[in-house]
Amino acid sequence: MFDLQSLGIEYGTLAMFVMLLVFLITGMPLAFVTLLIALIFTLGWFGPMAVPLITSRVYSFVSSFVFVSVPMFVLMAAILDRSGVARDLFDAMRLFGGRLRGGVAVQTIFVAVILAAMSGIIGGEIVLLGLIALPQMLRQGYDKNLAIGVVCAGGSLGTMVPPSIVLIIYGLTANVSIGDLFTSAFVPGFMLAGFYVAYVLFRSYTGNNIAPPPQTEKIPHAEKVRLLKGLFLPILVVICVLGSIYGGIASVTEASAVGVAGVIASTIVRGEFSIAMLKGAAIQTLSTCGMIVWIGIGASALVGVFNLMGGIKFVSGLITGISDDPTTIILFMMLILFILGMFLDWVGIALLTMPIFVPIVKDLGFDPVWFGVLFAMNMQVSFLSPPFGPAAFYLKSVAPPDITLGDIFKALLPFICLQILAVGLLILFPGLAGG
Amino acid sequence: NAQEFTLKVQSSDAAGVPNFELEQEWAKRVGVMTGGRVEVEMLPVNSIVEHAETQDAIAAGILDGHITDTSYFSGKDPAFGLIANPVGAWSAPSEMLRFVQYGGGKELMNSLLNPRGLQFIGAVTPGLEAFVSSVPLDGVADLKGLKMRAPEGMVQQVFAAAGAAPVNIPQSEVFTSLDKKVIDAADATVFSTNQAMGLHDVAKHPVYPGFHSMPMLEVSINKTKWDSMPEDIQAILEMSVRDLAQDMDARLAMKDMEAVAKARSEGGVTIHNWSAEERAKFRQIATSQWEKVAARSDDAKRVYDTLVKYLTAQGLI
Amino acid sequence: MATSPIDNTHDTPTPSIDPPLEPDDRTETIPAVSGRLGSAVNKISPVFAFGFLLAMGILIFEIFMRHVFNSPTLWAHETTTFLSAVGFVFGGLYCASKDKHIRVVILYDIAGPKLRKALDVGISIVCMIASGFFAWAAWLMVKRATMTPAGDIHFETTGSAFNAPYPGILKVFLLLTLIVLMVQFFWQAINYMRSAPITGSEQNE
Ligand code: NA
Ligand code: NA
Repeated sequence: MFDLQSLGIEYGTLAMFVMLLVFLITGMPLAFVTLLIALIFTLGWFGPMAVPLITSRVYSFVSSFVFVSVPMFVLMAAILDRSGVARDLFDAMRLFGGRLRGGVAVQTIFVAVILAAMSGIIGGEIVLLGLIALPQMLRQGYDKNLAIGVVCAGGSLGTMVPPSIVLIIYGLTANVSIGDLFTSAFVPGFMLAGFYVAYVLFRSYTGNNIAPPPQTEKIPHAEKVRLLKGLFLPILVVICVLGSIYGGIASVTEASAVGVAGVIASTIVRGEFSIAMLKGAAIQTLSTCGMIVWIGIGASALVGVFNLMGGIKFVSGLITGISDDPTTIILFMMLILFILGMFLDWVGIALLTMPIFVPIVKDLGFDPVWFGVLFAMNMQVSFLSPPFGPAAFYLKSVAPPDITLGDIFKALLPFICLQILAVGLLILFPGLAGG
Repeated sequence: NAQEFTLKVQSSDAAGVPNFELEQEWAKRVGVMTGGRVEVEMLPVNSIVEHAETQDAIAAGILDGHITDTSYFSGKDPAFGLIANPVGAWSAPSEMLRFVQYGGGKELMNSLLNPRGLQFIGAVTPGLEAFVSSVPLDGVADLKGLKMRAPEGMVQQVFAAAGAAPVNIPQSEVFTSLDKKVIDAADATVFSTNQAMGLHDVAKHPVYPGFHSMPMLEVSINKTKWDSMPEDIQAILEMSVRDLAQDMDARLAMKDMEAVAKARSEGGVTIHNWSAEERAKFRQIATSQWEKVAARSDDAKRVYDTLVKYLTAQGLI
Repeated sequence: MATSPIDNTHDTPTPSIDPPLEPDDRTETIPAVSGRLGSAVNKISPVFAFGFLLAMGILIFEIFMRHVFNSPTLWAHETTTFLSAVGFVFGGLYCASKDKHIRVVILYDIAGPKLRKALDVGISIVCMIASGFFAWAAWLMVKRATMTPAGDIHFETTGSAFNAPYPGILKVFLLLTLIVLMVQFFWQAINYMRSAPITGSEQNE
């Protein structure tokens, strides 16, 4: 048997990254790339007896209750996609935003923020926006790159705007108040959404063919009423979901089921409901979740193997040696998060880094609540950054065929810059997160 | 001396909580006491495998050991649930530790773990858990219809028997659910940790000292590895775990008292303390559930018999 | 980066905008390389898809029972988690059969027909071997989740008051899925080997 252990953890880590990249470009399915690297390192480092580590992680990952909301959001998206609700909604939004250049894209970001307040995890909302908002924006004549960016970046806000599973997991790990984390994430979350809005407006007003020309023709009153009706059902569904969360009727995950029920009820009201439609939506959910979850599975398995190889000790060793200056250490942590964010999803990153970073941050005398918000902001970057950008994959799983992964990542670059700007501001002005 | 054994031990605690720090200090002490012959690496919860999967991982030789709540393995055999947290049996850590050390608990644990490939070294406990509630609770009658979160294991069953309505939501949703009043109360952990996590900000009527739960954390390692160790190292490990038990009890109790004092002086939180009568009532409901668990497997029956025999002999029931 | 020529993620029309309703046969195609096994996987997929709808229904029922009758169920969350987990696991197999898993295809796009065929065959074989290892590991896990040390059959349960044997069942299901996955990759490898090398342009999207 080939012995990888003799590489040592330093070269082992390097070999892992290199192999990830190499396998990635062969065209092997992403989910299997990470699983395969996990397998190679398990076999080569520990021998065959350790392979059950991977299947154990697969089992644990799929049987986690927090992921139940992902199929619920995808179901919502798939049903909406098969009904006229989304088209009517966006036509009505045009009524409001039509006079503003880029108005519908700005409203899509508002929709994304509302969705973010309805869920604690990402995946579902990007699929939802990708199925609903993207085709509508393209239909109305928005620039493809801008529309893609709005969907992916806006759809990722779910873990930045409370409630957020990222912040909850951080709170449980760092032993800090989850309520404080939620309160502190509020301003940075809206700041980030504000950056997106500003960027959309800037591009719309300075670029050619970025956004459709503002509507100038007068819309007859009867037409206005007809269009406004399109808002009624979606707003009712949103009220039901948010109402059930903030009214203490349902937990966050349960509320996602309320959303599905609301969307199904809407199709019944509109006379668009059929069993065949429901079946189609359910099968699309199966397929989309299969893609999304298996990518997460692979990353989770890889982190388990890396931790067993001594990854935790290795990464904490890197940090303790780096500098005596607290700010330099924080910046170095950001760099590590950024690099990991290129390759892993947030669950994996949280598992690997939180145990290391949290005690150091506390020792340095920083506010752990501020750092939690900073961590969540970093995860925003990780969702979009190539080559392993979950948001891009979620969108790819439902986007029209002519939109390639390359297109998506290219479209995301400016939004990644905005996120990095937000990270920087949070470090410069800890007060933004109440720190 | 040359290093002879490295032990990768996964905890059921997260990296930032006080319990994990105590476990890391224990790991260091083992190194010192064995003159460097044993190196223990403490790994936080879920870092290698998920919390309920450590037993299998140790048996497979992936991990070497764990410090974990035995009730996580209730699904493998109800006996684990009963021995880990016989709700109502113990009013203080010392009572449980005496049972484990001298009352047959250790032998029971090894009879359960040895066939599964693990060796039980000793038990520790974070102490009596405090109860988190957003409504005032002063006795068993107040539990009627109480929507509360309880984890797997016996706790859930006992509360159901006491008239509460247990909801099975995961720990990650406890905070938001308490905050939005989806649930009224929750079985979380010790007072100081609940306080740090902000649970008392949203649920202002904690019951302290707790009445319902005192989990046993087992320290166990792979049996083959244990058997390969010389007697002196085995003895050092056993002694060090006994010391960890007292260290954990003392330091977490101090933290609890500090947090309680702080909560009292800051106000806003009303700490409820149940009367001896109410505690006895709850205890009676709890013990009535033991038999039900005992009927579920032969091993659970053995745990039940040993436990009842010990408690009777000690005049505790 | 671009979409793979064999990436069938979107062998179907763009989500319709106008008219709003369309018959839903767009998810029914299975690539020829997946063979009869692929068709069989496709055929049973609605069972697992409806599991998600059932999970939704159960959660609504739970909210209703808890909020209106103040009597939450002990089984709702465990059961929805189980149904979702089964769906997630099967979804991976389903995407493999439909060749829908997401790929990065820089090399693929610049490769000639022969290299592409070699990549297809190679990737299928590697995935088959990996799945085989995982199936074997899952078997070790299943042994501990379905049998007591004394050798009696006992499916691992959730350990809650409801105490359903979901963990045991899910582990067995994972094992079965990994075995089928291995066989699926085997047939894909065979069928890619048999097929003529793809001449790039007509396949490009
Ligand atoms: Na959110
Ligand atoms: Na990324």
